[in-house]
Amino acid sequence: MVSISKAYLPYPLMRDLPAATGQGNRPVADRPPVKDRSLRTMKNILTWANRTFHPEPKAAQRVPFATLFGRFQNILTLNNRSLELIAEANDKLGGHYVFDQQYIRSFCQELRELVDQLIYNLEGLAPQKYSGLFKVFREISYDIEEEMASRLVISGADFVMPYERISREHISVVGGKNARLAEMKNVLGLRVPAGFAITARSFQSFMEFNELWPKVQAITGEWHLNSLTGEQASAKIMALISAAVVPLDVKKAVQTALAQLHQLTGNKTLHLAVRSSAWGEDSELSFAGQYKSMLNVAEENLFHCYKEVIASAFSPAAMEYRRQNGFGDQEMAMSVACQAMIDARLSGVIYTISPTSPRQDDLMISAAWGLGEPVVSGEISADQYTVSRKKPHKISAVSLVRKEKQLIPQPEGGTMMQAVEDSRKSNASLTNDQISQLATTALEIEQFFRSHMDIEFSIDRQGELVILQARPLNLAAQNSQQLCDIAAIVRKYPVLMKDKGVIAQKGIGAGKIFVVNNSADLNYFPSGAILVARYASPLYAKVMSKARGIITDVGSATCHMATIAREFRVPTIVNTGNATEVFTTGQDVTIDAEENIVYGGTIDELCFYGLTTERIEETYEYRLLRRVLKKIEPLFLVDPTEENFTPEGCRSFHDIIRFVHEKAVEELINLHYTQQHDPLALSGKLRWDLPLDMILIDIGGGIIPAETGGVMDIGIERITSIPMRAFVHGLSSPGAWNNEPLSVDMASFMSSLTKTVPTELASPKYMGQNLAVISKEYANISLRLGYHFSIIDAYVSDNQNDSYIYFRFAGGVSDLTRRSRRARFLEKILTENDFMVEVHNDLVIARIKQLPTRDIEAKINFLGLLVGFTRQLDILLISDQHINQFVSGFEMLVKKNTTE
Amino acid sequence: MTIPQKTSILILDDEPIVSKRLKPSLDKNGYEVEAFVRSIDAMSRIRERDFDIIITDLKMEGINGMEFLTEAKRRSPSTEVIVITGFATMETAKQSFSKGVFDFLAKPFKLGEILEVIRKAETKRREKMAAA
Repeated sequence: MVSISKAYLPYPLMRDLPAATGQGNRPVADRPPVKDRSLRTMKNILTWANRTFHPEPKAAQRVPFATLFGRFQNILTLNNRSLELIAEANDKLGGHYVFDQQYIRSFCQELRELVDQLIYNLEGLAPQKYSGLFKVFREISYDIEEEMASRLVISGADFVMPYERISREHISVVGGKNARLAEMKNVLGLRVPAGFAITARSFQSFMEFNELWPKVQAITGEWHLNSLTGEQASAKIMALISAAVVPLDVKKAVQTALAQLHQLTGNKTLHLAVRSSAWGEDSELSFAGQYKSMLNVAEENLFHCYKEVIASAFSPAAMEYRRQNGFGDQEMAMSVACQAMIDARLSGVIYTISPTSPRQDDLMISAAWGLGEPVVSGEISADQYTVSRKKPHKISAVSLVRKEKQLIPQPEGGTMMQAVEDSRKSNASLTNDQISQLATTALEIEQFFRSHMDIEFSIDRQGELVILQARPLNLAAQNSQQLCDIAAIVRKYPVLMKDKGVIAQKGIGAGKIFVVNNSADLNYFPSGAILVARYASPLYAKVMSKARGIITDVGSATCHMATIAREFRVPTIVNTGNATEVFTTGQDVTIDAEENIVYGGTIDELCFYGLTTERIEETYEYRLLRRVLKKIEPLFLVDPTEENFTPEGCRSFHDIIRFVHEKAVEELINLHYTQQHDPLALSGKLRWDLPLDMILIDIGGGIIPAETGGVMDIGIERITSIPMRAFVHGLSSPGAWNNEPLSVDMASFMSSLTKTVPTELASPKYMGQNLAVISKEYANISLRLGYHFSIIDAYVSDNQNDSYIYFRFAGGVSDLTRRSRRARFLEKILTENDFMVEVHNDLVIARIKQLPTRDIEAKINFLGLLVGFTRQLDILLISDQHINQFVSGFEMLVKKNTTE
Repeated sequence: MTIPQKTSILILDDEPIVSKRLKPSLDKNGYEVEAFVRSIDAMSRIRERDFDIIITDLKMEGINGMEFLTEAKRRSPSTEVIVITGFATMETAKQSFSKGVFDFLAKPFKLGEILEVIRKAETKRREKMAAA
């Protein structure tokens, strides 16, 4: 019986699985049989399987254990591969990789197939018990497909979002204009108009409610076939939109937001600026300027104007742009910004770099009286100021014009051009103080978005500066000639630090070093300095908006401070070891947290270069992968004893993967321990001193049968499985489980640690049943250490070419930083002990093969020791230095156990 | 002292993210880089001038990578070609090497990996030049 024989090959865990690139899409469960050589050497097990199950008459009504175990092994293989795949995808976000959309597509495709197979295999173990998984799987898959097809998954989004609630992550729902305004307000604390976003969800709801998509498609189709001109097609669609109604739930949400805006501004009558804020409107897609903005809209006209703004998404130019660039109409998501009008005395535009001569270290300001629209469109002439980017922002050139006209709001709504009073016509629109304030603010915005910016502003009747809009100024394409030879320039500067530590936020910055020794120092942190400190502390949030860079001795890319640095986009390198020794306060440096180099001196060219290249982590592909991973990677089902630990409770692929594994182990134990399903597969509970429930199922020669048939309780001495015996020996070595008396130095070492062991470790919550399926030469052990089972799959053979050990360790009860520290600890120890090790975040996979039986035994024994020692480490590894301390601690333990 | 000539590199990949990612890094490492997303544009460019190294995807709309690199090698046999592809099969690898491709990288790859391959290609060019 082929199925039985195949099921018994322990090989699935050992086989080299295809790499994460597109080629690995074969369904794992239906893999072709393993190679001849392995088949021959597996003879023992096969013979056993045939002898045991083939002639068994009862097998007709009962699925033989061999088949079930085959499914269980499939689940383990699939589980390993899925976790690896997810971890690899996560690595891609780290910034070292070049990946494209094709990669994201094949990653999702492969993972979907793996998860589908997982559910299918669990169904085989427990028919119809967990059928709810299929539905959850379909739902998550659907969401991922929608993301991949660039259709925004915004079903969860609100119709309306006030600026107070918007962050960077909402960019696809509220559009770039809204998202950046909200960030400047919420993170930088700048003044922007009070307002809210009518989100892309409202737009979709509008289109669907009025059944507009099929009509739009038909019209676009006619245009593509040339039976309509672009202008005709556009006019037809715009007419449809104009005649359509705004759905009631959108209207309600907008009215609520308006009421809040009334409260916020304290105005009885509101006049609004209604502007487009489409997804991808600026930056690389350069839709900029193609959509409509309407000023000073009376409240009662809001919905009318809303329709006009979204109709502008179907202007002939916008439609042509989408056709040229291969965007579908449905991929567009039009959000709209609704803002309280600013009573502008004067308005203008700032370019943080001169578009015509970017190498000159100047920024450009233009300003004129009244509202800003005619300045932006070039309809009226404005005063021009050329100002140094360097403090104190000296004005190098002024060109004042006679300002004949200005745009002003009309009391009943709308705007009009009006003659400027004679007395002001020739006056300069800006004072020196205002120019200095504008320059400072503009550079702060530039630093924050890490890009040269095009900023629109007003100064209101009270003299207060309000930022109306800020978008990246894309100069890279047109100025690539002027940017060349950056390599030759940086070569002239001394390298003070290179390839030390980890980049936590990419970017380039220059400034004076400021070494922070204690939190009081933070009060004196100068604006534009580079923060150097021993530890990565979240306390530095306080000065984050002032820092041009951060370098620490200790820390990790996943630590709290790194998250804050990313929020502020401050170039950050952590864990350099000795930054506080290398740098001194006051020193001029340039930090290149793209290449991981710190140069002595200020390299303006490099900073300039950094500002003109696109932020890679903000490109479409990075955002897409992050969004897709949001449906895949988070683990919500943490505790199997919780009520939500059900198929319906699964919210991500990770949840499903975890759920299936947990239930697979449970089912196998149920079937073959609790119910003694198959009389020929001996099973029982291991009797030992450790607080660890271990169920053993013997598939051939792994346990000495008890004389009286009762096999419920198995003493260690009855284990004859070579790998299992070695593992149990290692795990119960003195010190491994930390419940044995220790030698003096070991004891002091351990006691320094045990003090901090939290009670959750002792809680039985994390101490469910563990399972080992064993034969004389084979052991497959699922150990509950943290959220995920750890797996050891080992086979010893007289033919040493076939021997192997596979070890997987994942998950933990603490935060990711500590878990990844534990992963690094394991990596160090395992590598030093000849294992081949792969680490992704907190997932560790170690393999070793082709060793003589004695050596394999020793390695498994070693793993037992290590597993015992490691189970609590994620909690204890409070800082990075602890890793080495624990490595030496463990080495002492190994030495002690091997010499005794 | 003469300033050593920069190594010129052409990148062709129909997904813009690839050039976007590679170009800045190669710039900073002192290469002279031109990047293309449409193979037809890259094709007309190599008819105007030779490049020391070409980095190209295989599967693209219009002129595919294999056609492009064949033409590039025909025009300038000393150009070293590095193939980057997400569909790495033995077959495409073999075919590429038979066309004289220098190396073959499966996407996704690390920046460090491609820099390493580029350096090797440079070394090979230098050796060939010295031998000639």
